[in-house]
Amino acid sequence: MIRLTTPVLVLTFAVAFEVAAQESATATLTSTMPPIARLSLSANSLSFPDADPDLVPQVPSSGGPIAITARARAQRDAVVTLTVQAADDLRSGISVLPVSLITWTAAGPGFVNGTVSRSAAQLVGTWVGSGVRAGSQTFRFENRWTHPVGVYTVTLTYTLTAP
Amino acid sequence: MKKLITLGFGAAVVLLSSAPVAAQQTATANVTATASVNAKAKLDVIGAVAFGDADPDLTPIIAATALNISVKARTGANQAVTLTVQAGGDFTETGGGTIGISNLTWLVTGGGFVAGTAASASAVSVGSWTNSGNQSGTQTYRLANSWAYATGSYSVTLTYTLTAP
Repeated sequence: MIRLTTPVLVLTFAVAFEVAAQESATATLTSTMPPIARLSLSANSLSFPDADPDLVPQVPSSGGPIAITARARAQRDAVVTLTVQAADDLRSGISVLPVSLITWTAAGPGFVNGTVSRSAAQLVGTWVGSGVRAGSQTFRFENRWTHPVGVYTVTLTYTLTAP
Repeated sequence: MKKLITLGFGAAVVLLSSAPVAAQQTATANVTATASVNAKAKLDVIGAVAFGDADPDLTPIIAATALNISVKARTGANQAVTLTVQAGGDFTETGGGTIGISNLTWLVTGGGFVAGTAASASAVSVGSWTNSGNQSGTQTYRLANSWAYATGSYSVTLTYTLTAP
């Protein structure tokens, strides 16, 4: 009698354990998406040709607008910003012109008009959350008779920030 | 055992994903801007110079209406901008009479402009400035009147030259 009873009890426990395991098991799937910022510009140079200040008081850049694509993956409701700042004023040898003589008009959702500054980053565009934003900047140089002759250069640095 | 393993995996994923989300990401790009400013000079002399007839005793010097002069020049840093005038010769009239060009003088107003006496042998300064910029002033010609002049209608051509090196 003893030999017959023991196997039956063991079988009963085994079945009960399997049923309990199937009911309570869960799986949590998590995908990690950290912030990403990627910025592309259609050109890495701007050129303002010489012109008569009386005829062309605002000289447009010869290459036309700069196309901008700002790709950002940010936290939900976070503000994505694109700024530009000049490294210095416009310089040609000993001659210096304020970089604020360069202004731009913007096209595209979220892009804004502005004036280049060396002292503070200027807003080019702002958006909320992740996305791909495309727009353009059309630059102009204020032409004056008072400018000393020269070929002036300055570097502009764009920064796209995705918090 | 299966249950414990599943919970452990879930906890690990939460820890790994929380750190990068807080990190701000930036992307940068540089653009070089170049502006060309070349030398230029633009001169406007507006008005006409005419001396009416007058009694030399009553009007020994005849003044014409003032000319308005506008000078616009772009030059290098610390470079001089000069404006000169030179007569084509003496005053002449159709009958052959002449009046010496040195009888023509001028007065000026405006910063950098200078008074002078006309000459045909060389250019005479009307004004000079340093650096690029706009200048404006007036120039009033005066003709010394004399009983010695033969009657007639005299004329002379004056050439202005603005130089911005």
